[in-house]
Amino acid sequence: MNIELSREATEYGRQARRALEAAGGDRLVQLAEEEPERREKVVAPVLAGLGAWELNPCGDAGELEAAAALCRSAGYWALPYPVAERLSRPAGLDADGLLVVAAPAPSAPVADLDLRWVAVTVSGERSRAVTLPQTSPPRHSAFVAELELSPVDGDGAADAALGLVLPCWTLLGMLDRAIDLTRAHVTVRTQFGQPLAAFQGVQFQLTDAEVERSGVEMLARYALWSLLASPADALADALALRLAALEAAQTVFRVAHQLHGATGFCDETFLSWLSRYSQPLRRLPLGLSATREQLGRQLGRRGLTGLFSEAR
Amino acid sequence: MAPRPAATGAAPSEPAAPEPAAPVAGAPVAAPAWPEDPAEFRAAVRDWCGGHVPAEWRRAQTGASEEEFAAFQKDWFQQLRRVGLAVPHWPREWGGGMSVAQQIVLYQELAARDAPRLVLAFVAIHHAASTLLVAGTGEQRRRHLPAILDGEIWVQGFSEPGAGSDLAALRATARREGDGYLVNGQKLWASGAVHADWCLLLARTDPHAPKRRGISYFLLDMRTPGIEVRPIRQATGSSHFCEIFLDDVLIPAANLVGPQDQGWRVAQETLGAERGMTMLELAERLGHVGFRWLAEACARPGPGGRRPIEDALVQDRLASLETEITGLRALCRDLVERHAAGRVGPADASIVKLYYSELLQRTMDFGVEIAGPGGQTVLEKPASSGWESGAWVLDFIGSWEWTIPGGTSEIQRTIIGERGLGLPREPMGD
Repeated sequence: MNIELSREATEYGRQARRALEAAGGDRLVQLAEEEPERREKVVAPVLAGLGAWELNPCGDAGELEAAAALCRSAGYWALPYPVAERLSRPAGLDADGLLVVAAPAPSAPVADLDLRWVAVTVSGERSRAVTLPQTSPPRHSAFVAELELSPVDGDGAADAALGLVLPCWTLLGMLDRAIDLTRAHVTVRTQFGQPLAAFQGVQFQLTDAEVERSGVEMLARYALWSLLASPADALADALALRLAALEAAQTVFRVAHQLHGATGFCDETFLSWLSRYSQPLRRLPLGLSATREQLGRQLGRRGLTGLFSEAR
Repeated sequence: MAPRPAATGAAPSEPAAPEPAAPVAGAPVAAPAWPEDPAEFRAAVRDWCGGHVPAEWRRAQTGASEEEFAAFQKDWFQQLRRVGLAVPHWPREWGGGMSVAQQIVLYQELAARDAPRLVLAFVAIHHAASTLLVAGTGEQRRRHLPAILDGEIWVQGFSEPGAGSDLAALRATARREGDGYLVNGQKLWASGAVHADWCLLLARTDPHAPKRRGISYFLLDMRTPGIEVRPIRQATGSSHFCEIFLDDVLIPAANLVGPQDQGWRVAQETLGAERGMTMLELAERLGHVGFRWLAEACARPGPGGRRPIEDALVQDRLASLETEITGLRALCRDLVERHAAGRVGPADASIVKLYYSELLQRTMDFGVEIAGPGGQTVLEKPASSGWESGAWVLDFIGSWEWTIPGGTSEIQRTIIGERGLGLPREPMGD
């Protein structure tokens, strides 16, 4: 097995990150909050220009890796657009994207977009989903909308795995950015006559965060590989990835905020936006304890097949 | 809680409460008499709270405008003040004079009865008062202590863009000019500056001296020309923090606190003087309302009908949090009592702050987890509440205020290491 991303996928992700930067970078989410329609007018065309919607992650390993790399780049800019959700659109159902949902109030960060959604639960029940009208501005909702579901079938187990894995790549991109922002801050910010980074207590906090981020990156690659190479394990691997990503996000954002100091909570710094827009990804469809519980149910007493079992 | 019969010693209750004489600027204010005995005092305070803590104040303060918040705070402060409960830690001649035992009981009861916190007056009654009492002139005390009781609001103007943890690196300058000082610079993280009448200001009077020796401490009237206050929008959506821009602001020399260029020492003394009881109050709030709501949230049936508390993991987390909170309350009480006895250690306050702030974050984090996705939609919290309002997401974000300002956790650890454990100092660049 090889869990390295292909050179092409890595390069595609790099180009996507540049294209999104050229389209506005950090300003994209800030402007979208002021004018939500900008997401459709400004962000969607950039993604279309990158060929995002021609990717077929369900059937081809190369395209799946490219999709993952694109999600990671979107996360890096806290892109206010459901890239991972659109890339996870299910084969065979006429829809623009897929949302993994959980009872009792299915919701997703897809407010005010004119798109047709299919929703799927972790146990594979699929529905058509329509977003309910927004009652609060994006400043409060982070574009999360409640969904109204009409059941379709119960064939969505594979969809659920893909629909869980790709948003973790978005979150990984956010963790990449949080580390970059914090590294830059502690290198530049001077107190007591030296950069914060010169204090070992500061260095160790950032290194702990980086270790967490690196672990998620490896698991994200593994879960991606598992989607096509080991479908029977894909859902458990996706949930394990989600659990690790949520735990890592807690550590990484905690450290990033602490080392930024008060300024990290003010909208002058991008960390404040990044951290806020990471929330829907970290809470929906399943928060930390709900993810842990689902993973436990999936595994029973069997445990994960994992990288180093004899079967591999 | 129903009001209890007044205990022996006549619990103050309006209008029969022992009213102090109407304060006159410059005149000391007499505090009303409360029972000395802690048990009697507790019963009396409980009784008073039963009749005076505004019913439904949390609902009324949710979504309140800045003006409504300020009006409510000032009114509550005056209610406490009228019966001598607003500044129990001040000396008797200025309107306080309660024993440490009484103060402990008072804060326990205010927390247990879920009384609004004195958010707006906080800097005035703690930082400004301790500055004036420790280092102020008689005239400064007479001018400001009664005014604070009348509702004068204060803000702290210490931090700057380049001076956070390294506060002594501050750059705002105060140049002697005639009978005053001309101040220029920028202050940051001045909480509640939009409401402030006066500011505790640190500025550099000797740019050539070593950095801790060229700073002076001033009382700045916020109505002085040349001051601009700009609120900063925070991740919670509120604008509690402010920037203060000072452009040729003239401060009369009479408003200097302590000797010129000795402001760093004054700040150290006065900051040290307010430690302890404020932490005890916060610990009691966390132990009462904060933990109670967490336990209630755990006992409430979730969307699927199951109560989180039925889960053994939740029980375990609750039990460990309660254990830690109990430890915190004991630690705070010990700090306060040793402070009063003059036996406080050099790192004790840092230990309490580190313990509280990190425990607060863990508790609020758990609250967010228990509240689930539904909790993410509760994005308004009552003004006048503390760091535990039941709006878990905002409480969690707000809890970060504690590991950063007033000495970050990193600074507290350094103090505990160096002054508490006697470890070598971290190498410094200057």
